[in-house]
Amino acid sequence: MSAPANPFAPRHGSLRRAETAVAWAFRSATYFILLCGGFVFGNICLKGLPTVTGAFRGLDHFPYVTNTFLFEAPESLYVFEHDGKKVEMGDAEYRAFREAETARAAAEGLPAPKFKAKSYVYASGGIWPCIVGTVLLVVGSMTIALLLGVASAIYLSEYAREGPFVRFIRLAILNLAGVPSIVFGLFGFAMFVLYFDWNVSLLAGWFTLAFMVLPVVITASEEALKAVPRGFREGSLALGATKWQTIRKNVLPYALPGILTSSILGIARVAGETAPIMFTAAYVVRDKLPWEVEKFGDFVFQGVMALPYHIYVVSSKIPQNEYTQRVQYGTAFVFLGIVALIAGSSILLRNKLRGRYQW
Amino acid sequence: METSSPASAAPVTRSLATPSKASEGRDGAPEPTLIDIRALDFYYGAKQALFDINLAIPDRRVTAFIGPSGCGKSTLLRCLNRMNDLIDGTAVKRGEVKIRDVDIYGPSVDPIELRKRVGMVFQKSNPFPKSIYENIIYGLRIQGVKSKTKLDEVVERSLRGAALWDEVKDRLHESGLGLSGGQQQRLCIARTIAVEPEVILMDEPCSALDPIATAKVEELIHELKKQFTIIIVTHSMQQAARCSDRTAFFYMGKLIEFDETHNIFMNPKNPQTEAYVSGRFG
Amino acid sequence: MPPESSTTPAVDSTVRSFRIQKERTRILGLTWDECIQGFFGGNAFVAVIVLGLITFFLFREGSSFFTQNRDNLTIYRQAGLEYVDFGRQQEKDHAALSRYLSDLRLRTLRHYTDQEGLPAKEAQARLAEFDRFADRFSSASKPLRSLLSDLGDVAVDIKARHQNNLNFAEKRRQLLAAGKTAEAAEVELVPIDYAGEVAAITATLPDFAEASATFAKTLEDLIATPPALPAPELTERLTRFQALTRDYLAGFPATLEAMKAWDPARPVPLAQSFTAFVFGRQWLTASFWQDWYGVMPLIAGSLLVSLIALALAVPLGVGAAVYVNQLASPTEQRLIKPSIEFISAIPSVVLGFFGIAVLGEFLRVASGWSFLAWVPGFPFAERLNALTAGCLLGLIAVPTIFTLAEDAINNVPRAFKEASYALGASRLQTIIRIIVPASLSGIVSAILLGLGRVIGETMVVLLCAGNRIAIPDFTAGLGVVTQPVHTMTGIIAQEMGEVEPGAIHYRALFVVGLLLFFIALLLNFFAQKIVRKYKVSIG
Repeated sequence: MSAPANPFAPRHGSLRRAETAVAWAFRSATYFILLCGGFVFGNICLKGLPTVTGAFRGLDHFPYVTNTFLFEAPESLYVFEHDGKKVEMGDAEYRAFREAETARAAAEGLPAPKFKAKSYVYASGGIWPCIVGTVLLVVGSMTIALLLGVASAIYLSEYAREGPFVRFIRLAILNLAGVPSIVFGLFGFAMFVLYFDWNVSLLAGWFTLAFMVLPVVITASEEALKAVPRGFREGSLALGATKWQTIRKNVLPYALPGILTSSILGIARVAGETAPIMFTAAYVVRDKLPWEVEKFGDFVFQGVMALPYHIYVVSSKIPQNEYTQRVQYGTAFVFLGIVALIAGSSILLRNKLRGRYQW
Repeated sequence: METSSPASAAPVTRSLATPSKASEGRDGAPEPTLIDIRALDFYYGAKQALFDINLAIPDRRVTAFIGPSGCGKSTLLRCLNRMNDLIDGTAVKRGEVKIRDVDIYGPSVDPIELRKRVGMVFQKSNPFPKSIYENIIYGLRIQGVKSKTKLDEVVERSLRGAALWDEVKDRLHESGLGLSGGQQQRLCIARTIAVEPEVILMDEPCSALDPIATAKVEELIHELKKQFTIIIVTHSMQQAARCSDRTAFFYMGKLIEFDETHNIFMNPKNPQTEAYVSGRFG
Repeated sequence: MPPESSTTPAVDSTVRSFRIQKERTRILGLTWDECIQGFFGGNAFVAVIVLGLITFFLFREGSSFFTQNRDNLTIYRQAGLEYVDFGRQQEKDHAALSRYLSDLRLRTLRHYTDQEGLPAKEAQARLAEFDRFADRFSSASKPLRSLLSDLGDVAVDIKARHQNNLNFAEKRRQLLAAGKTAEAAEVELVPIDYAGEVAAITATLPDFAEASATFAKTLEDLIATPPALPAPELTERLTRFQALTRDYLAGFPATLEAMKAWDPARPVPLAQSFTAFVFGRQWLTASFWQDWYGVMPLIAGSLLVSLIALALAVPLGVGAAVYVNQLASPTEQRLIKPSIEFISAIPSVVLGFFGIAVLGEFLRVASGWSFLAWVPGFPFAERLNALTAGCLLGLIAVPTIFTLAEDAINNVPRAFKEASYALGASRLQTIIRIIVPASLSGIVSAILLGLGRVIGETMVVLLCAGNRIAIPDFTAGLGVVTQPVHTMTGIIAQEMGEVEPGAIHYRALFVVGLLLFFIALLLNFFAQKIVRKYKVSIG
């Protein structure tokens, strides 16, 4: 006795095989992307971490690039042979060493020793001025961007009535978001650096970056404001509150976490961009730290070193070799770490926030 | 700050000077008209939502607006405290709404002051994500009242007024969102009466509540009408029959019939009203 | 007063005055609330203002480029450089033919050593005849070359003096502006008799014609008696060489005609300055001879790199979007989406560094693997080229495309999908026939925005594209991807720091920026337009 044929039995055939194959193709595309991203991230972390932890010092007696990497200024690296050994020294140490050797030779009545050192610029020391500069740039530009952006979003979300005027503003915001960063750099250079005569300065960089990140902040803030239920506004207005009272007491407080969280993504963007600050705020090298200014007014009119620009400099202006690699990877690692931390916390916070506020 | 305008300074008796609008109450006594709507046309953009509404709403009574969805009853309600101002493209094109003989669409009227006098309770209860206490005093806070004793007193009075005091007196500083649906709606009513308005507009206040919570709110409406003029929009004809004194029936943006509630339900004059209340459409 | 009113004393006593007017504090006729609204409205306008300022400043700095470029082209003509370039072109073509010969020599040598197994010395000996031929061919242009070199010196001298005069004029203007009239008077301009001096150059036309004729004759004689080559394949190449040379010689009279007809006084129209920029095939700056600002190589480079990036990013990004939205498990979704967003946070300069440090070298080594030899363009020697930059840009574009495409797919109403399943369609059929078509416009706009992101990206191309300013050789087929290129964004970033504000080079960079700006706006515009259309069609 054969069982009656099951009409719903799964059918095997070419269609099914094709289905599986395509699903796998999509899946592998997805995981390939993750793999690439992960590889870049992993590569830089693995090779950059030893610079920061100072592991290089133990391994090959590298003089300055140690855990003080974070807190020293960049220096040139000198590589030379001494007593048949290869020695690497930072600029300051090398000079002291040379003087000491010459003095010793003079004391012993020997001819002054000759040093044939190869020098690698920026390859020793650390990146402290760059970190400071980046932090200053980010804080300043985000302050400006948040002030302008949140106010703008409040208008668009609370006051504006749909019409040609608002459509025009929205169009401008959308288009501003698509402007290439190098164009912002050009614009900042022409307007702030040359026309306002601010020179290469923090102030010029702040405004350039703030304008660049403005669309991100506006969009994020508007979204957060829109997420506050209508009922809060109607309830408040029906109690005789003015519009501004309603916004200040019953809308902004509930939108603020959302605004700040989404704006962190803007911080990551500001911190990560190089092109806009290349001509507006960043110096290749600067000996003074930003607070070492003569009068307080000069503070905002000074250029700074910045991490992204430093990476550009050390990866394009100096050769790739075993001596320079440490600084290159170390800087990239620190920078990537900072940006990843910011972006990661933004993504995590946002996911958390999504679950928390249920009105 | 407040300057008295001619209208508000007018003698109280002026509000009673329009006897033709005041109709006979159930007990035969004449009822003074509080809100007088005349020949009102209202538009959403190009679309007309209300057609030539004439309505005299009596003081300190419960008036119910009934009618099928989209008949304009909520729109009319929102006209009464100018909440429609907040929606783009809306406009009163013709006619006027007078409350105590003050045209609320007049040029000297401040809609914010108006809303302090004409409170509103919404379909979906919308307590603010603040404590119960803060919810109640919100209206006073924005008016600049700071005195703690005054605020405490208002909170208790309002919550008692909304029959909520006994249920929440031990947790005044917990979030208003922690209350049940019916309690939330009563909290919203308490919040509204804390401002001491003259009129309370209720936009389907029970549509999201279960029967028990609805009964409580209806009971509350009975109590409140001693002090306040209440206008309630409702989908439920039983509710209108239970708790209103007057009923207005709207259809397609027009006022079809307005009369004593029992007349509307027992003895409608208009065939459309009859069809609606007997459940043949709507 | 109506009598009824007197019968309601209870009401009377409790009626409160109904006061709904309020005199609010006014500033310039506006209430406080309106002031606040105005403040916020003004802030909302910032985006418009910034966009306007960007446009204004780019135009302000860039607009006079075209007049400056016209001056640049005018002096090129007035000083006779243009005239000399006719001859130099002839010389350059001849040099190209000589290079063809040396290539042929290399092939022949390889034939001897590899095919016939001759020792190197003997192979060289056998090539003696060919070498004599090649030497005579390349040295034939000597008289012509020296003549042109002399003419060139004269022309460059005129141009240099012209430049000096410009500098002096500027100096005098500055002195006058500073009120130093006496010192300004000391600055002396040396007037140049352009027509007269250039006449000295054009007067040499008969000499040139003669030298050219001799040169042509020599070449003709030479190619009439070509050396014998050992293989038919090589002979064929030699025949081709003969044909090329004949074509080359056939062009001589035309050159001569052009030189005869050349008029140094003919004005350069502004339109020519414009076309020289847009269609110019050379971007050559700080040259002793003549600066050219042709944007073609940069556009070609930008496009090439962007196309490579999109070719990689579109399948990956869209595929991942479909997978995450339609096929992945909820856990996968929760993990993959933030991870890809995270990739978008990797700063481009770090990716650029990665390209220099790892990817470029890896690709170069990989291109040498024998099993990859079939790939066009492989193997290549340049570590930094369009492919390296394109791969990294692809990684930059993927998150943009993924996020937007995923949004578009997500917006397809659930009902579509359910209806399809209910009709017995499989998952794949539903995706291909329902989901993707319904979200296609969203996906296309995602790709456009991804393209905008890639074209505007600076650091990666600056670090990894190789920075060779030349139109990539598209005759190499797909192999073109392995050539180094330069891009619009890259050139701005690279040269902006070195130029003097106000100079023509500075302005040229601004015009490139302006071009980029408009490309970005255009892409944005189309992306929005497509999305709007799609919204209408869904209802």
